[in-house]
Order: sequence, then structure tokens, then C-alpha cells
Amino acid sequence: MPQDLPPSGGYGPVQYKRNLPARGFRPAVMLFGVAGIVTYGFWTLGKGIREHNELAREKLWSRIHLIPLLTAEEDRDLARRHYADLARERKLLGSETSAYNSDRYVRPTFAIAPNSVTK
Amino acid sequence: MAGRQAKFNQHVLVDTTPLPADIPPVTEIGASSAPLLSASFFIGARCRAYNDDFMQCKTEKPGRAELDCLQEGRRVTRCAKSVVEDINKHCLEEFRLHWTCLDKNNQQLWQCRPAEWKLNKCVFDNLKLEKTIPGAPPNETPVHLRKHQKYAHRGP
Repeated sequence: MPQDLPPSGGYGPVQYKRNLPARGFRPAVMLFGVAGIVTYGFWTLGKGIREHNELAREKLWSRIHLIPLLTAEEDRDLARRHYADLARERKLLGSETSAYNSDRYVRPTFAIAPNSVTK
Repeated sequence: MAGRQAKFNQHVLVDTTPLPADIPPVTEIGASSAPLLSASFFIGARCRAYNDDFMQCKTEKPGRAELDCLQEGRRVTRCAKSVVEDINKHCLEEFRLHWTCLDKNNQQLWQCRPAEWKLNKCVFDNLKLEKTIPGAPPNETPVHLRKHQKYAHRGP
């Protein structure tokens, strides 16, 4: 019985390499492209942060211009209540006695509610 | 009073005693936050001296400022009141447009630039008050004049 032999002229070449198409750009192009996109992103981010800082400055100064006005109004209200307290004390006790050993103004912790509804 | 006004569930119990007669009365500003924010830079432009005076008085008299700086405080309020009244007299329409826009947009100034430009122009033409932001970088357009506002939801 004849043995199985290779065909005459030998076998054809064996394909051991992958045969996948090389898609997309070259690696160097990809690298620089991504670097460019990231640079553009950070540049835009920086501009946004700068604008944000300026907006914060604007808000801050609008408040700075208003603070004396608001403080003055509140101070008048506090003074009004303070003098009313003193007058009430003079009327009830006949004297002014401070609980504190200084002439500083102290924001009262408790408010005296009037007997009847005042408003 | 600490912090807030005294309020009970059933009734409003507030001490309504007026100031003593020897302290001159002054009309309060009577504007809510959005109109004040809208007018703040004009108040700053006209009343800078009074404001600084008041704050200096507050700094120099620690502990007594609430009672001793009432005069400076009245000047501050009168000056701010004059600004708001002048804006109401000359630019009521633009003023209203701007502060209603601020009220609708969470009081974010950058959402209301077109209305603000109109108000600024009217106020500058009639009252000669200009909005400037101190400390802004000198080589850039001030942020309130930029045609494109990055953070605005719509419009410039």
C-alpha cells in the first residue's frame, strides 16, 4: 500500500500571521491628535475659570456696595429696641442697671414680649 | 434681638416703640433684594464716600458702633434712597425689566445682560453713574460688557 506523501512541489505556505486591516491613523498622528484635543479642552476650561472668577468678583462687589446700607438699617432697629428696653426699665424699676461691667452694646439674648398684641 | 424677629405661632409680638425723638427719623430703603442687587453698583458709585465713612465709624468704635454710628448710618440710607429714587424717576422701565429678570433667574447677574446693558445706558445718560468693578484685570473687557456670556443659559 503506497504511503501518503506530500504533494509534488511541497505544501503551500501556512498563514500564521493575523490578517487584520490596519484601521485608523498612524499611532503618532493619534497621539498628537489626542494631545491637541486635550490642550483645547484645558484652554477652554481655563477661559471658563477666568470668567467665573470675574463673575465672583462682580457679585462680591455688588454685596460690598450694599453692606453699609443693610448694616445701617439693622443698627437703627437694634438701637430702637435698646432704647425702648432702657426706657421700659426706667419706668418699671426707676433706674438703669446694666448686667455687664462695660458700656459696650450687647445684643440681647431674650426679647421682652409685650402684654398685648402690638401689631 | 438675636438674629431674627420674635415671632410666635398665634400672634406677631414685636416691640414697635419708635426711636427716641432726639434721633432724627429716616425713611428706610424699602426695596427687596433683587432691586437692590440691580442698583448696587450705582449705589456704590454715588455713595462710596458715605459707605466708607460708616464702615470706618463701625471699625473705630467696636462695641458701641450700633449706638454711636447712627448719624453716618442715616447718611448712608439717605444716599442709597436718593439713588433708587432717581433710577425710579428716570429709568423705571429698564430698572423693572432688569430686576424682574434677576428675580426669575436666581439673581444670577450673567443671565440678564441685555436688560442690564439697557439699564446701564439709561442710568449713565440720565444720572451719570457708571458701573465699574474694582480690581478687575485692566487688559480685559469687564465681565458685564462681554458680548458672549459663557454661563448664560440663553442669549448672550
